[in-house]
Amino acid sequence: MGNKQTIFTPEQLDAYQDCTFFTRKEILRLFYKYRDLAPQLVPLDYTDKPNVTLPYELIGSMPELKDNPFRQRIAEVFSESGDGNMTLDDFLDMFSVLSEMAPRDLKAYYAFKIYDFNNDDYICKSDLEKTVNKLTRNELTPEEVSLACEKVIYEADLDNDGKLSLEDFQHMIIRAPDFLSTFHIRI
Amino acid sequence: MSYHYNEAFENPAYRFSETLEVDRSRNYQENPFSYQNPYDSSSYSYQGEHRGRRQNYTPDIPMASLRHNSEYSDSLPRVEVLSRSGRSHDNLSFEPEPELAYNPQSSFSPLDDPYTHRFSSASEDDFVRRRNRRPSDVTMFSTQSQATPVCGEEEKLVGSLASMSKHERIKAIQKMPENMKRKREIRNKVLREITKKSGGCGTLCGCCTHCMRRAKVSFRRFRNSLSEYFHRLNFWHKTLKIIAGEFGTSVLSYFIFLKWLLNFNIFSFLINFGFITVPQFVTAEPNNLSFTGLELLTGAGYFQQTVLYYGFYTNATIRQRKNGASYNMQLAYIFTVGIYFVICLLILLFSMAKSFHRNFINTQVYSGNASKLLCAWDFNITNEKAVKLKQKNLSTQIKEDLAEGKKEAPKLSVTERIVRILIHLGSWAASLGTAVAACAGVYFLSINNLQLFMKGYRNDLESQAAMLVLAIVTSLLNVVLPFFYSWLGNLEKFQDPKNKIYVTIARIIILKISIIGILCYYWLNVVAASESQCWETLVGQDIYRLVLVDFIFCLLGSFFGEFLRRIIGTTVYIRLGVPEFDIGRSVLDLIYAQTLTWLKPSKECGPFRGLPSIYAAISEWVKILENYIDSKWVAWIYYNLITSELFFFILSVPILVFTYLYWQIIKGRKTVAKLFLEQIVNKGRDKRFLLEQIRMLQRKQNPSAPRRQDQQRSSWLDHSSMPPAQQEPNYLGRTFDRNRNASYDEYPYSAGISRGTGFPSDWETSQPSSSSGMSEAVALALRARQAAQLEDLQDDINFRP
Repeated sequence: MGNKQTIFTPEQLDAYQDCTFFTRKEILRLFYKYRDLAPQLVPLDYTDKPNVTLPYELIGSMPELKDNPFRQRIAEVFSESGDGNMTLDDFLDMFSVLSEMAPRDLKAYYAFKIYDFNNDDYICKSDLEKTVNKLTRNELTPEEVSLACEKVIYEADLDNDGKLSLEDFQHMIIRAPDFLSTFHIRI
Repeated sequence: MSYHYNEAFENPAYRFSETLEVDRSRNYQENPFSYQNPYDSSSYSYQGEHRGRRQNYTPDIPMASLRHNSEYSDSLPRVEVLSRSGRSHDNLSFEPEPELAYNPQSSFSPLDDPYTHRFSSASEDDFVRRRNRRPSDVTMFSTQSQATPVCGEEEKLVGSLASMSKHERIKAIQKMPENMKRKREIRNKVLREITKKSGGCGTLCGCCTHCMRRAKVSFRRFRNSLSEYFHRLNFWHKTLKIIAGEFGTSVLSYFIFLKWLLNFNIFSFLINFGFITVPQFVTAEPNNLSFTGLELLTGAGYFQQTVLYYGFYTNATIRQRKNGASYNMQLAYIFTVGIYFVICLLILLFSMAKSFHRNFINTQVYSGNASKLLCAWDFNITNEKAVKLKQKNLSTQIKEDLAEGKKEAPKLSVTERIVRILIHLGSWAASLGTAVAACAGVYFLSINNLQLFMKGYRNDLESQAAMLVLAIVTSLLNVVLPFFYSWLGNLEKFQDPKNKIYVTIARIIILKISIIGILCYYWLNVVAASESQCWETLVGQDIYRLVLVDFIFCLLGSFFGEFLRRIIGTTVYIRLGVPEFDIGRSVLDLIYAQTLTWLKPSKECGPFRGLPSIYAAISEWVKILENYIDSKWVAWIYYNLITSELFFFILSVPILVFTYLYWQIIKGRKTVAKLFLEQIVNKGRDKRFLLEQIRMLQRKQNPSAPRRQDQQRSSWLDHSSMPPAQQEPNYLGRTFDRNRNASYDEYPYSAGISRGTGFPSDWETSQPSSSSGMSEAVALALRARQAAQLEDLQDDINFRP
C-alpha cells in the first residue's frame, strides 16, 4: 500500500479507474511497465503530474508490441500528438482499448483508425494494400495484393463508394466473432 | 442507454433554458430518424486543409486553450440547429466558416455508448459517424476562430452524465472514444456538477452528503482492494499470456476452457465434500477390508467401504447428542446436488447469454472471406516466430482465396470419379465398422466385468487385473483409432484440406460418443437390472478405472506425442485428439452424476436405501414437518405449489407468452434489417449509375452546361417545396450536401419524414462562397445526386405505408 500512495494520489487513481477499464492494480502494473521502458525518464512520483513523454522507439520496443506489424500505427493512433510518442495517459488509453473489457464498438473504432493509414477516415485501397503487406510480410505479388484488396472492398463496401467507411468496417466486425479476442493485448 | 439520453433531453432544466434545444429534442423524440447530419462524412476538400492546419496549430496550442476548446466548440451544433430549423437561416451573424461547419464536436457526444445502439436508431448512428469522422484537431482550430463562445453541448453532456447513476456514468465515460485528458476533464466536470447540485441544500444537508460521499469513496476503495485479492486468485494469468503470445488465441481458448472446467470441478468438489462427505466421515463405520496397493489402480477392494463410492453413504439422520441438532443425510444429498445443479445451470445460462450478447451474429452469414482479412491479425502474439508463422499462414490463405475464384475443379474421368467415390465409401465403412467393433468389444468386456463383480469381492490379483482390462482397452481404442482415421483421411485425397479435417473429426466424435453410449447402456440397463447388491458402486469403480487409465494414457500420449512430434513433425491429429477426449470425459462425469442423482436408487445401498424413489425422501420430510407448527408454511408451499399442476401451468403461461412476443419482435427486426440492407445496396447502385451518366454528359457538353443544369435543378427544388434561394450554387456547399445525400440514402425513411417537416434546409446559403476552384465535374455529380435524392424522396413517400 505504501508505495502505491507515492506514485499516484488516490484521486488520480480514481480518475484513472473511471476513465479506463482497469483496476488499481492493473493501472499500477501498467505504470511499472511504462516506467521499465525508461527508468531514467519516468519518475516514481506522479502526484505532481510530470510532463513525461516516451519516444516511439521505446514504446515500439516493448515486448507486447515489438513483433506486431502494426506497432507504429497503434502508437500513432493512441498518442495524443499523433507521432507515436506517448505519455502515461496515452499508454493507459491504448491498453484500455485493447483490454478484454472494452466493448466491441470501441475496439472497432480504434481498429479502423489503425488500418486507416492516411488518416482520411476511410479505409481506401492504398490503406488496404498497406495492411495486406504488413499482414503477409510482402510475400504476395503486387497483383495478388491488389486483387485481394479489391475483393475486400467488393465484399465489405455496402454503399459502393469504393472504400470502407467506419460503418462498413463495423458491419464487417459484427460478423467476425474472433475480433473481440484477437484485438486484445493481455497485460 | 438511449433512454437516458432522452431523459436528458426531457430534463426540464434544459427545456426551459433554451428554446432551441426544446425544439430539437422534440424533433428528436417525434421522429428518431429525422436527425440528420449534413456534415457527416468528411469532405475531401477540407481534409487536406485540416491536416495542413493541424501541423501548424497543434504544437503551439497551450494547455489552457485545450481545456477551453471543448466548451467553445460546442457552439457549433447550435449553428446547425439554427440553420436546420429553417427559421433563422438568414441569421448571418455566425458566418460559419467551412471548418466550423464541419462540426468536429459531436453534439450528443458520448454520454451513452455511441456504438452499441447504432442499429437501434438511425440518428444515433448518424452522430456516431460524425464523431468518428472528425480529425481530432479541428476542435482546436475552431476554438481560435470562434468569436462568441456558446457552451451548450458539453454542459448538456455533463448534465446528463451527472444525472446517471454512478455505475452507468463510469461505463459511459470509459466507452468514450476520446483520449485520457478529455475523458478526465469530462469526468471532473461531472463530479463538480454533482457536488454543486448536492451542495445546494443547506449546510446540514451538505455535511450529510459530504459524509455520505466520503463513506461511498472509502467503500469503493475497500471493494477495489477486495477485488484485487480475488484477482490474485486468478491463477496462471502469466502462463496464459505466454501461451497466447506463442501460439495465438485459438490455442489459448482451449486452455481457457480447460481452466474453466477445472474451476467448475473444484467448485463441485468443495460443495459435495463439504455437505456430503464430511458428515459421512463423522458417522463412518470402521473399514475392515485389507489394503494391498493394487486398489489404487482398480478402485475396488478397500475403497468399496470408503466415501469414494455412493453405496457407502448412510441413510441415517446424524445426531451427535440426543435431542441435539440433527443432520439428515438423505435431504443433504438431495439439496446439495440439487442446488449444485441449479447453480451450474445458472452459470451456464449467464455465460451463454453473455457470449451471445457479445457475439451476436446476424442470421445471414457473411458471404466473403476476404473481408475477414481485416479482423485476422491476432494482437496477442508477441513471439517473433509465431508472428512469422501467422503471416505465412495468412498469405497462403489469401492465395488460396484468390485461386478459388479462378480455378475450377479439375475434370475427372468417369472411372476416376467412381474410384474416388468408392474410396470415400470404403473409408466410411471402415471407420464405422471399427467404431461398431470397438463398441461390441467394450460391451462384452464389461459384461465379463459384471460377472467378475458378481462373484464377490475377491481380492486376488487375477480378478482385479481382469477388471482393469476394460478400462485399458477403452482407452487404447480412444488413442489408437484416431490415428487410423487420420490415415484414412490421407488415403482419401481430399481436394480441400478443410474437408479432410472435418471428416476426420466427425469420425472421431462418432467413435467416442458411441463408446460412451454403449457404456451408459451397460451401466443403466444391464448393471442396474442385475442382481448386484450395490450396482452404483460397480459403476463408480468402472468410472474410477476409466478416468485413471485415461489419465495415464494422456500422460503417455503427451510424452510420446511430443517425442513423435519432434521426430516426425506430424502433430495435427494428436492435437485434435486431446481436446475432444476431454470433452468426452467431462460428458462421462456428467452422466455419472446424473445417473446417481436422478435414477432409481438400489434397495440396499446409498443414502436412499429402502425408498422407492429419491423424491420420496422429500415427501417423508414434509410429512414430518407438518407436525411442527413453526414450519407449517413449508408444508403449505410443498402441497400447494410444488405438487400442484395448476401452479406450474399458471407459471408457464406468461413465460410462453413472453417467449412468443420476443420471438415475434426479433422476427420483425430481422425483416426490417433485411429491407434496410436491400435499400442501401439499391441506393449505392443508383448512385453509381447516376455518376456514370453525369460523367458521360460532362464529356459531351461544353463548359456552358452548368448554368442550364442549374435551372433544371431549381425546378426540382420548387417541386420539393424548397425556397428557390439557392440559385447561385456554391460548389463548396455542395460538398456538404453530398454528405447529406449519403445519409438520406441510407435512411430513406428519414428522408421522407424530414421532407414532411420542411427539413431539407438551405443551410448552405449561409456558406461563404469562398471556393471557385472546385471542378465542375464534381459539382455536376453532386447536383445529380441531389436530383436522385429528390426522386428517392418521392419513392420513399410512396413506399411508406
